[in-house]
Amino acid sequence: MRSVVVAGIGKTAFGVLADRDLRSLAVEAGEKCLENAHALNSQVEAFYLGNFAGPSFVGQNHLAPYVAGAMGITGIPATRFEAACASSGAAFYQAVMAVAAGIHDVVLVVGVEKMTSQTTPKVAEILAGAGDSTGEVRAGATFPALFAMIARRHMYQYGTTREMLAAVAVKNHANGAKNPQAHMRKVITLEQAMNGKPIAEPLTVYDCSLVSDGAAAVLVTTAERAEEFTSKPVRVLGISQTSDYVALETKADITRFDAVQCAAKKAYQMAGLEPQHIDLAEVHDCFTIAEIIATEDLGFVAKGKGGPYVLQGKTALNGERPVNTSGGLKSKGHPVGATGVGQICDLVMQMRGEAGERQVERARTGLAQNLGGSGATAVVTILGVQ
Amino acid sequence: MSGGTIYTETLVHSAPEQFVSEAPYQLIIVTLDEGAHRVTGRMAPHGDRVAIGDHVDFDYDRNGIPYFRKPAQ
Repeated sequence: MRSVVVAGIGKTAFGVLADRDLRSLAVEAGEKCLENAHALNSQVEAFYLGNFAGPSFVGQNHLAPYVAGAMGITGIPATRFEAACASSGAAFYQAVMAVAAGIHDVVLVVGVEKMTSQTTPKVAEILAGAGDSTGEVRAGATFPALFAMIARRHMYQYGTTREMLAAVAVKNHANGAKNPQAHMRKVITLEQAMNGKPIAEPLTVYDCSLVSDGAAAVLVTTAERAEEFTSKPVRVLGISQTSDYVALETKADITRFDAVQCAAKKAYQMAGLEPQHIDLAEVHDCFTIAEIIATEDLGFVAKGKGGPYVLQGKTALNGERPVNTSGGLKSKGHPVGATGVGQICDLVMQMRGEAGERQVERARTGLAQNLGGSGATAVVTILGVQ
Repeated sequence: MSGGTIYTETLVHSAPEQFVSEAPYQLIIVTLDEGAHRVTGRMAPHGDRVAIGDHVDFDYDRNGIPYFRKPAQ
Protein backbone atom coordinates (compact mmCIF):
# COMPACT_ATOMS: atom_id res chain seq x y z
CA MET A 1 0.00 0.00 0.00
CA ARG A 2 1.15 3.54 -0.75
CA SER A 3 1.48 6.17 1.98
CA VAL A 4 -1.46 8.58 1.92
CA VAL A 5 -1.66 12.22 3.01
CA VAL A 6 -4.22 14.97 3.40
CA ALA A 7 -2.82 17.77 1.22
CA GLY A 8 -5.60 20.33 1.44
CA ILE A 9 -8.63 21.33 3.52
CA GLY A 10 -11.63 23.59 3.03
CA LYS A 11 -14.71 24.35 5.12
CA THR A 12 -17.71 26.61 5.07
CA ALA A 13 -18.96 28.09 8.30
CA PHE A 14 -21.44 25.75 10.02
CA GLY A 15 -24.79 27.19 11.08
CA VAL A 16 -28.25 28.23 9.98
CA LEU A 17 -27.36 29.50 6.53
CA ALA A 18 -30.79 30.48 5.24
CA ASP A 19 -29.59 32.04 1.98
CA ARG A 20 -27.41 29.07 0.96
CA ASP A 21 -28.38 25.85 -0.83
CA LEU A 22 -26.71 22.44 -0.68
CA ARG A 23 -24.78 22.83 -3.89
CA SER A 24 -23.34 26.25 -3.13
CA LEU A 25 -22.10 25.02 0.27
CA ALA A 26 -20.46 21.92 -1.21
CA VAL A 27 -18.86 23.95 -4.00
CA GLU A 28 -17.52 26.55 -1.57
CA ALA A 29 -15.83 23.86 0.57
CA GLY A 30 -14.48 22.04 -2.49
CA GLU A 31 -13.07 25.21 -4.06
CA LYS A 32 -11.51 26.36 -0.78
CA CYS A 33 -9.87 22.95 -0.50
CA LEU A 34 -8.42 23.05 -4.02
CA GLU A 35 -7.15 26.56 -3.35
CA ASN A 36 -5.64 25.44 -0.05
CA ALA A 37 -3.80 22.64 -1.91
CA HIS A 38 -2.83 24.87 -4.85
CA ALA A 39 -4.60 22.27 -7.02
CA LEU A 40 -6.55 22.64 -10.24
CA ASN A 41 -9.94 20.99 -10.69
CA SER A 42 -8.41 19.18 -13.70
CA GLN A 43 -6.00 17.37 -11.35
CA VAL A 44 -8.83 15.66 -9.45
CA GLU A 45 -9.05 11.99 -10.49
CA ALA A 46 -12.09 11.02 -8.42
CA PHE A 47 -14.78 12.98 -6.56
CA TYR A 48 -16.37 11.39 -3.49
CA LEU A 49 -19.31 13.09 -1.80
CA GLY A 50 -20.47 12.28 1.73
CA ASN A 51 -24.13 13.18 2.21
CA PHE A 52 -26.77 11.58 4.41
CA ALA A 53 -30.15 12.80 3.26
CA GLY A 54 -30.00 15.37 0.49
CA PRO A 55 -32.92 13.67 -1.28
CA SER A 56 -35.11 14.07 1.85
CA PHE A 57 -33.85 17.47 3.05
CA VAL A 58 -33.70 19.28 -0.28
CA GLY A 59 -35.26 16.91 -2.84
CA GLN A 60 -32.13 16.39 -4.91
CA ASN A 61 -30.69 13.03 -5.96
CA HIS A 62 -27.62 12.22 -8.06
CA LEU A 63 -25.68 14.55 -5.82
CA ALA A 64 -22.04 13.77 -6.59
CA PRO A 65 -22.04 14.77 -10.28
CA TYR A 66 -24.48 17.57 -9.37
CA VAL A 67 -21.83 19.12 -7.11
CA ALA A 68 -18.77 18.11 -9.16
CA GLY A 69 -20.30 19.58 -12.31
CA ALA A 70 -20.82 22.90 -10.55
CA MET A 71 -17.07 22.87 -9.81
CA GLY A 72 -16.31 22.25 -13.46
CA ILE A 73 -15.30 18.66 -12.73
CA THR A 74 -16.49 16.07 -15.25
CA GLY A 75 -15.14 12.93 -16.86
CA ILE A 76 -14.12 11.19 -13.62
CA PRO A 77 -15.89 8.90 -11.13
CA ALA A 78 -18.19 11.06 -9.00
CA THR A 79 -19.99 9.06 -6.33
CA ARG A 80 -22.08 9.77 -3.25
CA PHE A 81 -21.53 7.78 -0.05
CA GLU A 82 -24.31 7.43 2.51
CA ALA A 83 -23.62 6.02 5.97
CA ALA A 84 -25.88 8.18 8.14
CA CYS A 85 -23.79 10.60 10.25
CA ALA A 86 -20.63 8.79 9.09
CA SER A 87 -21.33 9.50 5.41
CA SER A 88 -18.27 11.64 4.76
CA GLY A 89 -16.13 9.50 7.05
CA ALA A 90 -17.05 6.62 4.74
CA ALA A 91 -16.28 8.73 1.65
CA PHE A 92 -12.90 9.66 3.14
CA TYR A 93 -12.17 6.00 3.90
CA GLN A 94 -12.82 5.08 0.27
CA ALA A 95 -10.60 7.93 -0.94
CA VAL A 96 -7.74 6.76 1.27
CA MET A 97 -8.21 3.17 0.04
CA ALA A 98 -8.24 4.23 -3.63
CA VAL A 99 -5.05 6.28 -3.24
CA ALA A 100 -3.32 3.66 -1.09
CA ALA A 101 -4.15 0.98 -3.64
CA GLY A 102 -2.76 3.00 -6.53
CA ILE A 103 -6.09 3.38 -8.32
CA HIS A 104 -6.10 7.19 -8.08
CA ASP A 105 -3.41 9.71 -7.12
CA VAL A 106 -5.66 12.66 -6.27
CA VAL A 107 -9.15 12.35 -4.76
CA LEU A 108 -11.34 15.23 -3.63
CA VAL A 109 -13.71 14.34 -0.79
CA VAL A 110 -16.56 16.71 0.07
CA GLY A 111 -19.11 16.28 2.85
CA VAL A 112 -22.29 18.37 2.90
CA GLU A 113 -25.72 18.65 4.50
CA LYS A 114 -28.41 21.29 4.19
CA MET A 115 -30.80 20.70 7.11
CA THR A 116 -32.29 23.91 8.42
CA SER A 117 -34.92 24.50 5.78
CA GLN A 118 -37.10 21.84 7.49
CA THR A 119 -39.07 22.07 10.77
CA THR A 120 -37.66 20.37 13.90
CA PRO A 121 -40.18 17.45 13.87
CA LYS A 122 -39.46 16.91 10.16
CA VAL A 123 -35.69 16.97 10.79
CA ALA A 124 -36.19 14.41 13.60
CA GLU A 125 -38.17 12.23 11.21
CA ILE A 126 -35.57 12.41 8.43
CA LEU A 127 -32.72 11.69 10.86
CA ALA A 128 -34.68 8.75 12.27
CA GLY A 129 -34.31 7.21 8.82
CA ALA A 130 -30.86 6.11 10.01
CA GLY A 131 -32.56 3.83 12.56
CA ASP A 132 -34.56 0.64 12.00
CA SER A 133 -37.75 1.77 10.26
CA THR A 134 -39.57 -1.51 10.97
CA GLY A 135 -38.91 -1.47 14.73
CA GLU A 136 -37.56 1.33 16.91
CA VAL A 137 -38.54 4.14 14.53
CA ARG A 138 -42.10 2.82 14.17
CA ALA A 139 -42.26 2.76 17.98
CA GLY A 140 -41.50 6.49 18.08
CA ALA A 141 -37.72 6.57 18.49
CA THR A 142 -35.80 9.67 17.48
CA PHE A 143 -32.01 9.83 17.67
CA PRO A 144 -32.15 11.84 20.89
CA ALA A 145 -34.42 9.08 22.26
CA LEU A 146 -32.02 6.29 21.24
CA PHE A 147 -29.05 8.06 22.84
CA ALA A 148 -31.18 8.90 25.89
CA MET A 149 -31.74 5.15 26.33
CA ILE A 150 -27.99 4.61 25.95
CA ALA A 151 -27.35 7.31 28.56
CA ARG A 152 -29.85 5.78 31.00
CA ARG A 153 -28.13 2.42 30.73
CA HIS A 154 -24.64 3.95 31.11
CA MET A 155 -25.82 5.80 34.23
CA TYR A 156 -27.31 2.56 35.59
CA GLN A 157 -24.25 0.40 34.94
CA TYR A 158 -21.45 2.86 35.73
CA GLY A 159 -22.91 5.60 37.91
CA THR A 160 -22.51 8.27 35.23
CA THR A 161 -24.32 11.44 36.33
CA ARG A 162 -26.21 14.31 34.71
CA GLU A 163 -23.34 16.55 35.79
CA MET A 164 -20.86 14.46 33.80
CA LEU A 165 -23.03 14.69 30.69
CA ALA A 166 -23.31 18.44 31.17
CA ALA A 167 -19.51 18.71 31.52
CA VAL A 168 -19.17 17.54 27.90
CA ALA A 169 -21.46 20.33 26.68
CA VAL A 170 -19.70 22.98 28.80
CA LYS A 171 -16.26 21.94 27.52
CA ASN A 172 -17.31 21.79 23.87
CA HIS A 173 -19.07 25.15 24.01
CA ALA A 174 -15.94 26.67 25.60
CA ASN A 175 -13.89 25.33 22.67
CA GLY A 176 -16.45 26.26 20.03
CA ALA A 177 -16.50 29.85 21.31
CA LYS A 178 -12.88 30.05 20.09
CA ASN A 179 -13.74 28.67 16.63
CA PRO A 180 -14.72 31.38 14.14
CA GLN A 181 -16.50 28.79 11.94
CA ALA A 182 -18.58 27.25 14.75
CA HIS A 183 -22.39 27.31 14.66
CA MET A 184 -22.94 28.35 18.29
CA ARG A 185 -20.05 30.38 19.68
CA LYS A 186 -21.44 30.64 23.17
CA VAL A 187 -19.91 29.72 26.51
CA ILE A 188 -22.40 27.93 28.79
CA THR A 189 -22.30 27.09 32.50
CA LEU A 190 -22.70 23.69 34.13
CA GLU A 191 -25.89 24.94 35.76
CA GLN A 192 -27.37 25.98 32.41
CA ALA A 193 -26.42 22.68 30.81
CA MET A 194 -28.05 20.71 33.62
CA ASN A 195 -31.31 22.63 33.46
CA GLY A 196 -32.11 22.70 29.77
CA LYS A 197 -35.44 21.88 28.23
CA PRO A 198 -35.96 18.08 28.22
CA ILE A 199 -35.80 16.46 24.77
CA ALA A 200 -35.74 12.77 25.70
CA GLU A 201 -35.00 12.16 29.38
CA PRO A 202 -32.32 12.29 30.73
CA LEU A 203 -31.10 14.36 27.75
CA THR A 204 -31.89 18.06 27.52
CA VAL A 205 -31.41 20.44 24.65
CA TYR A 206 -27.85 21.02 25.93
CA ASP A 207 -26.99 17.33 25.47
CA CYS A 208 -27.89 17.37 21.78
CA SER A 209 -25.73 18.48 18.87
CA LEU A 210 -26.96 21.22 16.58
CA VAL A 211 -28.99 21.01 13.40
CA SER A 212 -26.74 22.82 10.95
CA ASP A 213 -26.01 23.58 7.33
CA GLY A 214 -22.42 23.26 6.16
CA ALA A 215 -19.79 21.55 4.08
CA ALA A 216 -16.18 20.43 4.43
CA ALA A 217 -13.61 19.07 1.99
CA VAL A 218 -10.19 17.41 1.95
CA LEU A 219 -7.77 16.58 -0.85
CA VAL A 220 -6.25 13.12 -0.53
CA THR A 221 -3.05 12.18 -2.36
CA THR A 222 0.13 10.13 -1.98
CA ALA A 223 3.01 11.04 0.32
CA GLU A 224 5.17 11.01 -2.81
CA ARG A 225 3.15 13.71 -4.59
CA ALA A 226 2.34 15.75 -1.46
CA GLU A 227 4.91 18.47 -2.10
CA GLU A 228 3.17 19.44 -5.36
CA PHE A 229 0.29 20.63 -3.17
CA THR A 230 1.48 21.60 0.29
CA SER A 231 4.48 22.16 2.52
CA LYS A 232 2.49 20.76 5.45
CA PRO A 233 1.17 17.32 4.48
CA VAL A 234 -0.58 15.34 7.21
CA ARG A 235 -0.13 11.58 6.96
CA VAL A 236 -2.95 9.07 7.32
CA LEU A 237 -1.22 6.65 9.70
CA GLY A 238 -4.21 4.38 10.22
CA ILE A 239 -7.85 4.14 9.18
CA SER A 240 -10.66 1.64 9.54
CA GLN A 241 -14.39 1.52 8.85
CA THR A 242 -16.58 -1.13 10.46
CA SER A 243 -20.28 -1.95 10.73
CA ASP A 244 -22.72 -3.31 13.28
CA TYR A 245 -26.49 -3.99 13.50
CA VAL A 246 -28.71 -0.96 12.95
CA ALA A 247 -31.36 -1.52 15.64
CA LEU A 248 -30.30 -0.57 19.18
CA GLU A 249 -32.22 -3.51 20.69
CA THR A 250 -29.97 -6.00 18.83
CA LYS A 251 -26.77 -4.87 20.58
CA ALA A 252 -25.55 -7.04 23.47
CA ASP A 253 -24.49 -4.00 25.53
CA ILE A 254 -25.64 -0.54 24.47
CA THR A 255 -23.10 1.24 26.70
CA ARG A 256 -20.38 0.56 24.15
CA PHE A 257 -20.16 0.71 20.36
CA ASP A 258 -18.61 -2.52 19.08
CA ALA A 259 -18.07 -0.97 15.63
CA VAL A 260 -16.01 1.84 17.18
CA GLN A 261 -13.97 -0.54 19.32
CA CYS A 262 -13.29 -2.72 16.28
CA ALA A 263 -12.39 0.21 13.99
CA ALA A 264 -10.15 1.71 16.67
CA LYS A 265 -8.30 -1.56 17.18
CA LYS A 266 -7.62 -1.89 13.45
CA ALA A 267 -6.62 1.77 13.04
CA TYR A 268 -4.22 1.62 16.00
CA GLN A 269 -2.74 -1.58 14.58
CA MET A 270 -2.27 -0.03 11.13
CA ALA A 271 -0.63 3.05 12.67
CA GLY A 272 1.51 0.99 15.06
CA LEU A 273 0.23 3.18 17.90
CA GLU A 274 -1.60 2.76 21.21
CA PRO A 275 -4.28 5.03 22.70
CA GLN A 276 -1.73 6.73 24.97
CA HIS A 277 0.17 7.95 21.88
CA ILE A 278 -2.76 10.08 20.67
CA ASP A 279 -2.24 13.80 21.40
CA LEU A 280 -5.75 15.01 20.59
CA ALA A 281 -9.03 13.72 19.17
CA GLU A 282 -12.15 14.87 17.37
CA VAL A 283 -14.93 12.48 18.43
CA HIS A 284 -18.55 12.14 17.40
CA ASP A 285 -20.42 13.97 20.19
CA CYS A 286 -23.83 13.86 18.50
CA PHE A 287 -25.01 13.66 22.12
CA THR A 288 -22.98 14.27 25.28
CA ILE A 289 -23.18 10.58 26.24
CA ALA A 290 -21.64 9.66 22.86
CA GLU A 291 -18.45 11.59 23.68
CA ILE A 292 -18.18 9.88 27.06
CA ILE A 293 -18.56 6.46 25.42
CA ALA A 294 -16.14 7.41 22.61
CA THR A 295 -13.35 8.17 25.07
CA GLU A 296 -13.92 4.70 26.55
CA ASP A 297 -14.24 2.85 23.22
CA LEU A 298 -11.07 4.50 21.89
CA GLY A 299 -9.13 3.32 24.95
CA PHE A 300 -8.37 6.79 26.36
CA VAL A 301 -9.95 5.76 29.66
CA ALA A 302 -11.27 2.51 31.20
CA LYS A 303 -14.84 1.36 30.49
CA GLY A 304 -17.33 3.27 32.58
CA LYS A 305 -14.86 6.01 33.52
CA GLY A 306 -15.57 8.39 30.64
CA GLY A 307 -17.82 10.56 32.83
CA PRO A 308 -15.26 11.32 35.56
CA TYR A 309 -12.61 11.73 32.80
CA VAL A 310 -14.40 14.72 31.26
CA LEU A 311 -15.61 16.13 34.61
CA GLN A 312 -11.99 16.23 35.85
CA GLY A 313 -10.95 18.31 32.84
CA LYS A 314 -8.70 15.67 31.28
CA THR A 315 -10.18 16.32 27.84
CA ALA A 316 -10.28 20.13 28.08
CA LEU A 317 -8.24 22.33 25.74
CA ASN A 318 -5.44 22.44 28.33
CA GLY A 319 -6.04 18.89 29.61
CA GLU A 320 -3.89 15.79 29.14
CA ARG A 321 -5.71 14.78 25.95
CA PRO A 322 -7.87 17.51 24.40
CA VAL A 323 -11.07 16.17 22.83
CA ASN A 324 -13.12 18.19 20.36
CA THR A 325 -11.00 21.32 20.35
CA SER A 326 -13.17 22.50 17.43
CA GLY A 327 -16.22 22.63 19.70
CA GLY A 328 -17.43 19.25 18.48
CA LEU A 329 -20.82 18.55 16.98
CA LYS A 330 -22.30 20.22 20.07
CA SER A 331 -20.99 23.73 19.43
CA LYS A 332 -19.28 23.67 16.03
CA GLY A 333 -22.46 22.15 14.59
CA HIS A 334 -23.49 18.89 12.95
CA PRO A 335 -24.37 19.17 9.28
CA VAL A 336 -24.61 15.39 9.23
CA GLY A 337 -22.95 14.58 5.91
CA ALA A 338 -20.16 17.11 6.46
CA THR A 339 -19.17 15.95 9.94
CA GLY A 340 -16.66 13.17 9.15
CA VAL A 341 -14.60 15.28 6.75
CA GLY A 342 -15.04 18.30 9.02
CA GLN A 343 -13.33 16.37 11.82
CA ILE A 344 -10.37 15.64 9.52
CA CYS A 345 -10.13 19.35 8.60
CA ASP A 346 -10.15 20.31 12.30
CA LEU A 347 -7.37 17.84 13.14
CA VAL A 348 -5.28 18.98 10.15
CA MET A 349 -5.61 22.61 11.31
CA GLN A 350 -4.30 21.63 14.75
CA MET A 351 -1.50 19.52 13.29
CA ARG A 352 -0.40 22.33 10.97
CA GLY A 353 -0.47 24.79 13.87
CA GLU A 354 -3.27 26.79 12.26
CA ALA A 355 -5.96 26.44 14.95
CA GLY A 356 -5.67 30.00 16.26
CA GLU A 357 -7.06 30.61 19.74
CA ARG A 358 -7.81 26.92 20.27
CA GLN A 359 -4.35 25.68 19.16
CA VAL A 360 -2.98 23.00 21.47
CA GLU A 361 0.73 22.76 22.17
CA ARG A 362 1.22 19.12 21.30
CA ALA A 363 -0.52 18.00 18.10
CA ARG A 364 1.64 15.41 16.37
CA THR A 365 -0.88 12.56 16.37
CA GLY A 366 -4.61 13.11 16.06
CA LEU A 367 -7.56 10.73 15.99
CA ALA A 368 -10.98 11.24 14.40
CA GLN A 369 -13.97 9.06 15.29
CA ASN A 370 -17.10 9.36 13.14
CA LEU A 371 -20.25 7.43 14.09
CA GLY A 372 -23.25 6.52 11.95
CA GLY A 373 -26.68 6.09 13.54
CA SER A 374 -26.61 4.45 16.96
CA GLY A 375 -23.34 2.75 16.06
CA ALA A 376 -23.98 0.75 12.88
CA THR A 377 -21.12 2.52 11.09
CA ALA A 378 -17.87 3.67 12.62
CA VAL A 379 -14.85 5.25 10.95
CA VAL A 380 -11.66 5.81 12.97
CA THR A 381 -8.74 7.71 11.42
CA ILE A 382 -5.32 8.38 12.91
CA LEU A 383 -3.30 11.26 11.45
CA GLY A 384 0.31 12.15 12.08
CA VAL A 385 2.96 14.76 11.29
CA GLN A 386 6.74 14.49 11.66
CA MET B 1 -45.29 -12.40 24.32
CA SER B 2 -46.17 -12.18 28.01
CA GLY B 3 -43.81 -9.68 29.54
CA GLY B 4 -40.26 -8.84 30.47
CA THR B 5 -37.84 -6.54 32.28
CA ILE B 6 -37.01 -2.95 31.36
CA TYR B 7 -33.46 -2.90 29.90
CA THR B 8 -33.57 0.84 29.28
CA GLU B 9 -36.10 3.62 28.79
CA THR B 10 -36.61 7.28 27.97
CA LEU B 11 -39.47 9.74 28.18
CA VAL B 12 -39.67 11.35 24.75
CA HIS B 13 -40.71 15.03 24.79
CA SER B 14 -39.55 16.07 21.34
CA ALA B 15 -41.26 13.66 18.94
CA PRO B 16 -40.89 13.04 15.24
CA GLU B 17 -43.59 14.58 13.05
CA GLN B 18 -45.93 11.59 13.01
CA PHE B 19 -45.97 11.22 16.84
CA VAL B 20 -46.07 14.86 17.95
CA SER B 21 -49.64 14.53 19.25
CA GLU B 22 -48.67 11.55 21.46
CA ALA B 23 -45.73 13.22 23.27
CA PRO B 24 -44.56 12.84 25.95
CA TYR B 25 -44.42 9.05 25.70
CA GLN B 26 -42.16 6.46 27.28
CA LEU B 27 -40.07 4.45 24.84
CA ILE B 28 -38.64 1.23 26.26
CA ILE B 29 -36.39 -1.69 25.39
CA VAL B 30 -37.64 -4.82 27.12
CA THR B 31 -35.71 -8.03 27.75
CA LEU B 32 -38.47 -10.60 27.26
CA ASP B 33 -39.06 -13.32 29.84
CA GLU B 34 -38.94 -15.90 27.07
CA GLY B 35 -35.47 -16.34 25.55
CA ALA B 36 -33.74 -13.15 26.78
CA HIS B 37 -34.57 -11.55 23.41
CA ARG B 38 -35.04 -7.74 23.41
CA VAL B 39 -37.75 -5.66 21.76
CA THR B 40 -38.33 -1.94 21.44
CA GLY B 41 -41.81 -0.83 22.44
CA ARG B 42 -43.82 1.69 24.38
CA MET B 43 -45.50 1.99 27.70
CA ALA B 44 -49.25 2.11 27.08
CA PRO B 45 -50.51 5.67 27.50
CA HIS B 46 -52.26 5.32 30.87
CA GLY B 47 -49.61 7.19 32.78
CA ASP B 48 -47.57 4.21 34.00
CA ARG B 49 -43.87 5.18 34.14
CA VAL B 50 -41.15 2.58 34.59
CA ALA B 51 -37.39 2.44 35.29
CA ILE B 52 -34.58 0.01 34.43
CA GLY B 53 -35.17 -3.34 36.15
CA ASP B 54 -38.96 -2.98 36.47
CA HIS B 55 -41.11 -5.85 35.25
CA VAL B 56 -43.77 -5.09 32.63
CA ASP B 57 -46.60 -7.10 31.07
CA PHE B 58 -47.45 -7.11 27.39
CA ASP B 59 -50.64 -5.14 26.85
CA TYR B 60 -51.42 -4.87 23.13
CA ASP B 61 -49.95 -4.53 19.66
CA ARG B 62 -50.46 -1.46 17.48
CA ASN B 63 -48.96 -1.24 14.01
CA GLY B 64 -46.50 -4.03 14.83
CA ILE B 65 -45.23 -2.29 17.99
CA PRO B 66 -45.71 -3.91 21.40
CA TYR B 67 -47.22 -1.77 24.17
CA PHE B 68 -46.59 -2.73 27.79
CA ARG B 69 -48.14 -1.87 31.16
CA LYS B 70 -47.13 -2.26 34.79
CA PRO B 71 -48.30 -5.58 36.30
CA ALA B 72 -51.52 -5.39 38.32
CA GLN B 73 -50.72 -5.00 42.05
